[in-house]
Amino acid sequence: MDFTLSPEHQALRRMIREVVQNEVAPLAAEIDRHHIVPIETMRKIGATGLLGVCFPQKYGGMGAGEMGYCILMEEVNKVCTSTGTNVGAHIGIGAMAIYLDGNEEQKRKYLTPLARGEKFAAFGLTESGAGSDAAAIRTRAVREGDSWILDGGKVFITNGGYADTITILAVTDPTLGARGGITAFIAETDWKGFKVAREEDKMGIRGTSTAELVFEELRVPHENVLGKVGEGFIIFMKSLDMGRLTLGAACIGGSEMAVDSAVRWAKTRQQYGEELAHKQSVQWKIANMATELEALRSLVYRTAWLVDTGQPFSQLAAMCKLYGSEVASRAIDMALQIHGGLGFTRDFPLERGFRDARIGEIYEGTSEVQKIVIANNIFREHGVRVRP
Amino acid sequence: MRIIVILGRVLDPAGITINQRAGRIFVNREEYVIQPADRCALEVALRIKDATAAEVVVLPRGPLPDDDILRQALAIGADRAVYFTRERFKADEAVMVRLLEAAIDRLGGADLVLTGATTLDSGQGQLGPRMAAALDWPQILDAWQAEVVDGAVQAVRQDGTGYVTVEAALPAVVTVVPGAVKPRYPDGVRLVNIYKNVGEIAAALERWEVTDLVGVDMLVPLVERRGQDFPPPRERGVRLSGAPDEVAVAAAQALQKRMNG
Amino acid sequence: MEFALNEEQRMFQNMFRDFAAKDIAPHAEEIDHEETMPASILSKAANQGFLGATLPEEVFGAALDGVSYALMIEEVARACVSLSVVTAAHVSMVAMSILEAGSDAQKAEWLEAMSAGEVIGAFALTEPDAGSDAQSLQTRAVVDGDEVVLGGVKTWVTNGGIAGLFLVFARGAEGIDAYLVPQDTPGLTVGYREPTLGLRSASFNTVYLEGCRVPLTNRLGQAGGGWDIARRAQDRMAVALAAAGLGVATDAIAVASKYATERIQFDVAIAHKQAIQEFVANAYIETEALRYLVYRAAWLSDQGQSVSVEASTVKAFAARVARNVTNMMVQVMGGYGFMEDYPMARKYRDARSLGIIGGPTEVHQLRVAQKIFADLDVEIKL
Ligand SMILES: Cc1cc2nc3c(=O)[nH]c(=O)nc-3n(C[C@H](O)[C@H](O)[C@H](O)COP(=O)(O)OP(=O)(O)OC[C@H]3O[C@@H](n4cnc5c(N)ncnc54)[C@H](O)[C@@H]3O)c2cc1C
Ligand SMILES: Cc1cc2nc3c(=O)[nH]c(=O)nc-3n(C[C@H](O)[C@H](O)[C@H](O)COP(=O)(O)OP(=O)(O)OC[C@H]3O[C@@H](n4cnc5c(N)ncnc54)[C@H](O)[C@@H]3O)c2cc1C
Repeated sequence: MDFTLSPEHQALRRMIREVVQNEVAPLAAEIDRHHIVPIETMRKIGATGLLGVCFPQKYGGMGAGEMGYCILMEEVNKVCTSTGTNVGAHIGIGAMAIYLDGNEEQKRKYLTPLARGEKFAAFGLTESGAGSDAAAIRTRAVREGDSWILDGGKVFITNGGYADTITILAVTDPTLGARGGITAFIAETDWKGFKVAREEDKMGIRGTSTAELVFEELRVPHENVLGKVGEGFIIFMKSLDMGRLTLGAACIGGSEMAVDSAVRWAKTRQQYGEELAHKQSVQWKIANMATELEALRSLVYRTAWLVDTGQPFSQLAAMCKLYGSEVASRAIDMALQIHGGLGFTRDFPLERGFRDARIGEIYEGTSEVQKIVIANNIFREHGVRVRP
Repeated sequence: MRIIVILGRVLDPAGITINQRAGRIFVNREEYVIQPADRCALEVALRIKDATAAEVVVLPRGPLPDDDILRQALAIGADRAVYFTRERFKADEAVMVRLLEAAIDRLGGADLVLTGATTLDSGQGQLGPRMAAALDWPQILDAWQAEVVDGAVQAVRQDGTGYVTVEAALPAVVTVVPGAVKPRYPDGVRLVNIYKNVGEIAAALERWEVTDLVGVDMLVPLVERRGQDFPPPRERGVRLSGAPDEVAVAAAQALQKRMNG
Repeated sequence: MEFALNEEQRMFQNMFRDFAAKDIAPHAEEIDHEETMPASILSKAANQGFLGATLPEEVFGAALDGVSYALMIEEVARACVSLSVVTAAHVSMVAMSILEAGSDAQKAEWLEAMSAGEVIGAFALTEPDAGSDAQSLQTRAVVDGDEVVLGGVKTWVTNGGIAGLFLVFARGAEGIDAYLVPQDTPGLTVGYREPTLGLRSASFNTVYLEGCRVPLTNRLGQAGGGWDIARRAQDRMAVALAAAGLGVATDAIAVASKYATERIQFDVAIAHKQAIQEFVANAYIETEALRYLVYRAAWLSDQGQSVSVEASTVKAFAARVARNVTNMMVQVMGGYGFMEDYPMARKYRDARSLGIIGGPTEVHQLRVAQKIFADLDVEIKL
């Protein structure tokens, strides 16, 4: 067993830190306050190659593997969860589906500009009636010659407002359901029939676009079917597996931010004649935060290693997201508390962190859905198929 | 055209805490980065390369325990880098100049040497002028910008009241001040490949034995480092309180006393 | 033991509930978004008697008993936590301090106007370097003839932006004094408004006192008696804030459980899922435990007992319950819980304030520990 990061990953982390400090940190508070999607920042990050961090070099990526991607998510989310979410939706679910299941031509045409950061991606799964129950989607795709005609809509689509490329899950055979009846498509957002209906006003990650999308006779050529007709559900779930792992990595970043700021504040703020650092109430909080952070880090890195070495990882990925989102929420809550009144103001990043962290337990499958997945896997090993 | 960039490493300032009271530097994260001024020099070199298609070769400004910053420089865009190998060789700037001169010679000469005007940690700025003297080339110190035009290097320097452009015929030595330009980021693919030692870029990092370049007798530094210390603590000010006019009077008296005694 | 509300309290409860639902709830989202507390809402609250809730009838107060007052704050908080905090700071911290410690002249000067909502009160104790440890405050009170000159900086003054009267705590010759400082007094400047996570329609300001002169007759209570006034006000406020926590938790459960019956996933309303049932049940269990702690603390104060430990107990618990319950209820609503055009996100943000406002949870816990060990003759320092 060897727990050291490889030299290329150490170097990558250093590079990412520099990019994040220069390009992301200065805008973090601003984009949240004014509800701005930092597209320019995304372009700058893209220009460094980082938006293709985990994809092979032949598709315009860096070839730094899932571990490299985890490091990116960790470092970006340490500073700005909004930017982290934009990056995550782009790489982790948007482009990922094309990488995992696209054919050579699709990868060349769509993945390459996404990996180079020249274009941006979104992942269109959720509908107003289909959140946790993703198989309940209603968006219909009907074959018409060499094309498919899509009608319906999606809600809560991250990057939906500005993405160039979107993967869409739609029902191709209503009689078959999730197994065989659902297909994944790649669409370009400037095609006729694709409309952004509205942007959500959210509590946190306000520097992201969460869009409601409408498809009206959106014509998608057959060559843009991702994978095979009828296998879309599995394809999307595979991308979500990856997304879950990297959300865990994002939560490492959020938790680190919390620990760092709590420690920094506790060693300077004095009450009752001494620094807060001398109070056990504060020490205990920091000890708990730090312990959970390390446990999370181990879990996430181990899972990334499983991915990079081609081993099964889906169970651990669900755990990464479940545990990570809880750890980050708790850590930020405690850090906020240690800041007293100042934690409650927008002048300190914890206020933003607190609002941002709350999304972790909700999107890309709620905590309950992760528990369903985890329990399912466990019972299956014991020969029982449990109902969600 | 061949441009030599000489660069060194420094502990990443973001990873250390300087505690004057405890008289210690706490290293939270031991990570080395290219000296900021040297990084600017590299950027200037790469811009010249972008404009005129030059070859950029990176050499170290001092003994290095590992080749990490050379890899960083290659990831950023340098074409070649040379790592001087020899078990714990010691060198000050005088020794380094001999070594670098020999290295440039072995490279087949150069048209321009660029390096940082000063180091962040030890504040040394001798290397550039010493190189110019040793090579007997013209030098431009503390440049903010430099470009190559018709066989000459034109550089912008600060000059008391403003900026002036000065010119030197090539070959020349130019030192660049920290913060002069915004250095570019490493290129993702180059970074991964050079650290993994794969692809074409892996061959760009060369290792040269020091003693192949200069005799052992030359590796004797003139300067010896005996230790390090903080600068003496600054005298503490006094805090005045009271109504504004009282404070003003007290401040004026204090200043006067200071000037008189 | 008698756990039921009496006839009158039940009547009040219904009245508060109706009013809050009709006149406050419809505006809550908008005023949070705009970050203002409009005069129209305050004057409606005043007309209902909310702003003189526990003041006697002589000054046109509503003369509510403590339990009814807690019910009032609870119901207001169900609709809008910000307004409940604005009201509680005005009534519990300022008006009641004047009623308890004020001279006849002071009562005559302020209480009627406060009941009518013509003057809103603000409580200025916390300073940049004196938060949890408020007793170490540095604001000075220097007597000059029959006047006193106040100098210092106060932070986090609830209602700072709308107050007509500030109850200012300052260090005088004999310890901490309390002064009534009208908003238009020269030398008092209301400054920076904190941009907050929650309670966004309430204002929390820094207040500067520079050569701020008030007549000595504006001192509330004895010289050196300020700390006692502050502590009693904080105890009252702690119970009121706990009632606010109860209100927000109660409403969060109501909103989310209703949502759970309507939201269909996997072909059934999510209410049929044990995960959701567990959330709702745990939230309910915690909230009911809180409910009786709140009512009991309020009832004890009606019996004329000191409620210091009970106040800390219920405040610390309320902060935890409000935080946990709103957190769980956001989860029940899934993605919709995270949207600002549904009320849950606001409740979640508002509820988080209770861990800090009125003294952080840790300090209340320490006070409880102090009491436990004091009974064993061991003195605990904070
Ligand atoms: C900011 C944001 C960004 C998003 N980005 C994207 C995106 O880019 N692409 C995309 O496709 N989607 C996206 N989503 C959608 C997100 O994945 C869904 O919100 C999430 O899956 C939950 O669905 P829901 O909101 O409909 O909640 P619901 O499914 O209605 O869940 C409500 C509650 O019921 C629980 N529940 C549901 N079913 C069960 C069950 N069987 N057993 C136990 N408990 C259950 C849930 O855990 C939750 O607590 C985003 C959402 C948000 C808020
Ligand atoms: C929304 C809001 C409204 C407010 N309204 C008012 C108001 O109207 N009037 C007013 O005067 N003040 C008001 N305050 C101020 C409030 O009372 C203080 O914020 C609070 O007392 C904490 O002080 P602080 O912010 O300085 O935190 P600090 O005292 O610096 O505390 C920081 C952290 O350290 C912990 N801590 C402190 N001391 C100890 C100890 N001895 N042992 C263990 N842990 C400790 C605290 O629990 C906290 O977690 C308000 C605050 C808020 C957030």
